[in-house]
Amino acid sequence: MKKTVDVSLPIGPVHPVFKEPCRIKCETSGEYVINAELELGYVKKGIERIMVGRPWQEVMFLAERVCGICSVIHNYVCIEGMERINGVAVPDRAAYLRLVVNELDRIQSHLLANYSYCYTIEHETLAMYLLNLRETAMDALEYITGARVTCSYIIPGGVRFDLSPEKEQKLRTMIDHIDSELTRFVRMFEGGSLIALRSKDVGTFSREEAIESHAVGPTARASNLDNDCRLFHPTYQKLGFESVLLDEGDNYARIMLRFLEVFQSTQLIRSALDSMEKGTIRGGGEIGGGFAEWAGEAPRGELTYTIDTDEHGRVKKIGIRTPSIMNIEACVHYMIKGVHSSADVTSTYISSDPCIACNER
Amino acid sequence: MTALQDVKNAVRSRSIHVCYVNVGSCNGCDIEILACLAPRYDIEQYGIYVHNNPREADILLVTGGFSPQWEDKLKEVWDKIPEPKAAIAIGNCPISGCVFNREGTYLDPPVRKHIPIAAEVPGCPPRPTEILEAVLSLAPVVFKDYEERGE
Repeated sequence: MKKTVDVSLPIGPVHPVFKEPCRIKCETSGEYVINAELELGYVKKGIERIMVGRPWQEVMFLAERVCGICSVIHNYVCIEGMERINGVAVPDRAAYLRLVVNELDRIQSHLLANYSYCYTIEHETLAMYLLNLRETAMDALEYITGARVTCSYIIPGGVRFDLSPEKEQKLRTMIDHIDSELTRFVRMFEGGSLIALRSKDVGTFSREEAIESHAVGPTARASNLDNDCRLFHPTYQKLGFESVLLDEGDNYARIMLRFLEVFQSTQLIRSALDSMEKGTIRGGGEIGGGFAEWAGEAPRGELTYTIDTDEHGRVKKIGIRTPSIMNIEACVHYMIKGVHSSADVTSTYISSDPCIACNER
Repeated sequence: MTALQDVKNAVRSRSIHVCYVNVGSCNGCDIEILACLAPRYDIEQYGIYVHNNPREADILLVTGGFSPQWEDKLKEVWDKIPEPKAAIAIGNCPISGCVFNREGTYLDPPVRKHIPIAAEVPGCPPRPTEILEAVLSLAPVVFKDYEERGE
């Protein structure tokens, strides 16, 4: 067979646009990418091995440090999974507060993802606007939980701190600020001719390919595949959650979907604050022996915890399945294959919002 | 002290190029470094440019507790940085391993075993202002009179 590959192009592990180390090996003909492979393993820490034999008091902090960008959802899913073992009840107010914090975390994660994309396609103005807006979401997070990144806000049976009426009022102002500013930035993103040239019809990903590669989260929803775990969560069901879907499946659709989800998140926070009633935020309960499996929707897709504990509540066995592993494989094997220039390789890769730290743990 | 050295000192204190490398972090410290770029902290008004390219860097920010894959690679990245140079450890992980330095871990902290570290910023993660302060206070000390010291 005639050899069509001209150049083998390695990207990474240290690369100007990569926030985290990984290596993409592209086989190219000229600049046209024929095939791509991914090499992982640069940030392997062995968190699941460290967790074994430890009680929830230690496991919840380790779970939170699986990923620094989406730390709240790891806390959320790990604790809800443990609550399922012994049926620990959560007060209504605490359930809504968990949702509020989780949605704030989603807002900052989506804004960071879109910042990275705009930075990669060299639209630095929009990137800096988005990064500055993200600081408002981080402020709100710090205001409620007391920390910017590792909050450890959610604990078995409830949450740590209550939300006072003054804080609630301030949170509403912050959410309104995010909404009004982002409306302007989305208009910039829609109308930018450079952005359309670099994003539309680049890195296309059809619904069939999404099903085949088990893509999850915004990556799949931009290809019209609805697999949002929030649809099955009792608190979200109470608020009448419906997932956002787009059907183009290119870079533009993936970024646009994240913008739309930020608007949806602000709406969810508002309706959660409206339907919250005064009450306790922390019930009782004990974590005993048993097995539980629980999934939640992380900013990047479905996150599953499989927890097996002994009679004292110590972890015997734990399995974490993070969303990025499917999305990165889908990105490298379906989206990057066939892009027309090597500059589009990095932007397509960033558009699927990869999180290597989650992935390797 | 020559006039040329004076000029070099003045220029170097207002033009610091930064590269960051993640050697097994949870991403928390990396996004706090990124947050320094935001107009609120505005790292560029102090003349600090985050390029993430070792070949044109002056300061290397290391995050994470050193996973085995980096055994040879971190040294390579460090060697690629032209003199004068300095490395700063960001977060608890490169200092002590933080929560990951337990039984069963793959990490091998501290990072100062592998490359010379000039400053350490503790925190899990440290705030962007602390990172900014560390870079700003370290750079003039390390780069001052570099040629006259004859290293």
